[in-house]
Amino acid sequence: MTPHAIIGLAALNGAYAVLGVAILWAFRGLPRWVDALRLCGVGYLIGVAAFGVAWTQLLVVGVDFNGWGVVLSLVGGTVAACAVGTLLRRPLPRGYGDPERQASPVSVLITASGVAMTGLLLEALFRAGRLQSLQAYDAWAFWVPKAKAIYFFGGLDEQVFTAFPGPTYPPLVPVLDAAAFHAMGSADVVTFHLQYWFLVVGAVAAIAGCLYRHVPAWLLWPPLLLVLVVPRVASGLLTPQADVLVDAFFAVGVLLLALWLRDGRGWRLAAVATLFAAAGLTKREGLLFAAAAILVGFVAVPARRRAAWLRLLAVTAVVGAAAVPWRLWYRSHGIGGEAPANAGAGGSLGRVGDSLRLSVDVFFDTGLWSVVPVVALIALGATLVWGDRRLGGFVASVLGLVFLGGAWVTYSYPGVPITADEALNPIVRYTGAIVLLAAAATPLLLTSVWRSGPEEPG
Amino acid sequence: MLQRWFSAGIATRRLVVVFCVGVTVIALVVRYSDAFRDAQDTAKANAALDMVDRAVGAGSSVFPDQGVLVEAGGLIPPGGTFTVAVGEPQPGWTPLTAGSAELFLRSYLLPRRLDPNAEWIVCLACDPNAFPEANAIWEGDDGISILHREQ
Repeated sequence: MTPHAIIGLAALNGAYAVLGVAILWAFRGLPRWVDALRLCGVGYLIGVAAFGVAWTQLLVVGVDFNGWGVVLSLVGGTVAACAVGTLLRRPLPRGYGDPERQASPVSVLITASGVAMTGLLLEALFRAGRLQSLQAYDAWAFWVPKAKAIYFFGGLDEQVFTAFPGPTYPPLVPVLDAAAFHAMGSADVVTFHLQYWFLVVGAVAAIAGCLYRHVPAWLLWPPLLLVLVVPRVASGLLTPQADVLVDAFFAVGVLLLALWLRDGRGWRLAAVATLFAAAGLTKREGLLFAAAAILVGFVAVPARRRAAWLRLLAVTAVVGAAAVPWRLWYRSHGIGGEAPANAGAGGSLGRVGDSLRLSVDVFFDTGLWSVVPVVALIALGATLVWGDRRLGGFVASVLGLVFLGGAWVTYSYPGVPITADEALNPIVRYTGAIVLLAAAATPLLLTSVWRSGPEEPG
Repeated sequence: MLQRWFSAGIATRRLVVVFCVGVTVIALVVRYSDAFRDAQDTAKANAALDMVDRAVGAGSSVFPDQGVLVEAGGLIPPGGTFTVAVGEPQPGWTPLTAGSAELFLRSYLLPRRLDPNAEWIVCLACDPNAFPEANAIWEGDDGISILHREQ
C-alpha cells in the first residue's frame, strides 16, 4: 500500500466520472454546474459501465489490454463524447444555483446531515479497505486471478479464463480490477479494495443524484442510509466481487427507467441501456435483472406513447448485443452454458414451494436487511392505493419478477440445496439486488403518496 | 391546515408515510452505530496485520505456514512455471490445505503458470521419489517444501 497507488486509483476513478459526465453532457446537456454535480454519480456509473462494456468486447476480439490502452480509451471516449456534445450544440454549464429546486433551510439541514453521515461511514470504510487482505473465496479463487491474467497477459488468457472456477462469469469486474492494477502500478491485491470503495461512493451518489429533484430530502436520506448499514450490505460493500456493482447497475437503471416512464426524456433511456448492458457483463443474473426491468417497461409504457416501444426495443438490442460476444467466446472454448440444463423443467412441485419459501424467508430476514423490505412493501401498497399507481405497479412488477427469478434459480439447479447458507446457495447475495432496488425506490414511492399521485413531468 | 390534513384521506396516507420514515429512522439509529463500529474495528484489525499477513490473505487459512507462499513468490521467477504435488494430509495442515492448496497457489503466484512438467514443484507431503531429478530448495514444517529440477 502506497500513497502512489491510492492517487493512481483516485485518478482512474476520476477519469471514469469525467467520461460519464461528458457522455451525459452530450446526450442530456448540463445547463448548470449544479446539474453536473448532482449527476456526477450517475455519470461515474455510466463511465464505469461504458469502459467495462467496451473493453469486454475489445478483449473478446483480442485487443491487448495495457496501461496505455486504458488511458487512451478513457481519453478517447471523453473526447468523442465532447465532440458529440459540440455537434449537438450543447451549451457549457453556466451558473451554480438550481432554479428548479428552492430548498428550505430544513431541507438543506437534512441534506447536509445525510451527506455528513454517509461521508462519515464511507470514511470509516475507506480506512478499513485500504489495508484489507484478500479473504473472500470467490475473490481469490476466480475474480482476482482473472483480473491478474488480464493485467499480466493483456487478455482473456485461456488457462485462467477456462480452468479456474466460474468460467462463464462475465469479465467486466476483472477488467475494472485490471485497470485498477495499472493505475496502482502493480497487482496490489490489498490497496485494490479501494476500487470497490470508489464503486460504493459512485453508487450512493448515483442514487441520490437520480432522486434529488424528485423527492424531498427527508424522504431521500433515511432509506438510502439505512440500506448502506443493514448487516448483509454493510459487511459486503468492499468485498472484491461483482455483487455490489451489478446491484448498483440494476437499481440505478430501474430508477432511471421509472423516471423515463414518467417524463419520456431520451437520455434516461440511453443511460439505462448502458447500465443494463454493463449489468449483463458483470454477473450472469445481471441479464435476468435487465430482462425483467425491460419487460415490465414495455407493459408500463402509457398507451399514448406506444412509439416508446421502439426505443425500448433499441435498449433491448443494445443489452443483447453487448452480452453476445462474451457468451460466444466462452462457448467457443468448450465451456457449457450459464443457464440450468433443463431450464427448470425437471424439478418437483415440492421444490417449487421450498424455493419460494426460501426466497421469502431470505427477503424478510431482518438479520440481513433490517426493515428495508417491510418498509418498501408498505410504501408500495400505499402507492398503489393513494399514489402514482403506474410507478407503484412498475416497481412492484420489477421486484416481483426478480424475486421469482431468485426462486427459479434455486429451483432449477437441483444440486443447489434449499438453504440460506451463502457457501451453498446464492439466494442471499441475489436478494441483495431486490433489497437495494426496494430501498432506492422507497423515496419515490413515499413521495408520490405524500403528494398524492404522479409527479408532473419536469 | 389541520382541516386540510384530515380531509379527503390526506391524514391517513401521510400518516403511513410518516410511519415508514419513522420506522426507517429508528432502524437507522440502531444500525448506523453498529455499522460504523464494525468498519472501525475492521480498520483497526487490518492495520494490526503485518505486511505478509496482508499479502497472503486467505492463504493463511489454506496453508499451515505462510513461509511456503513467501518463498514460492521469491524463488519462482515471474515468468516461471510450477506444479503442485499433494500427498497424505499431515497433522499440522488446515482443513483446506489438501483440497485448496493448488487453486490458491495458481491464483497467488500469477503470472507464474501451472505446468505439470514445471521446473518448480511445491510439495505438500508429496512422494519425493516421484521427482528423482529434483532438489529441495526450501523445506518448511508439516511436510511442505519447494523442489527445483533442472530442465
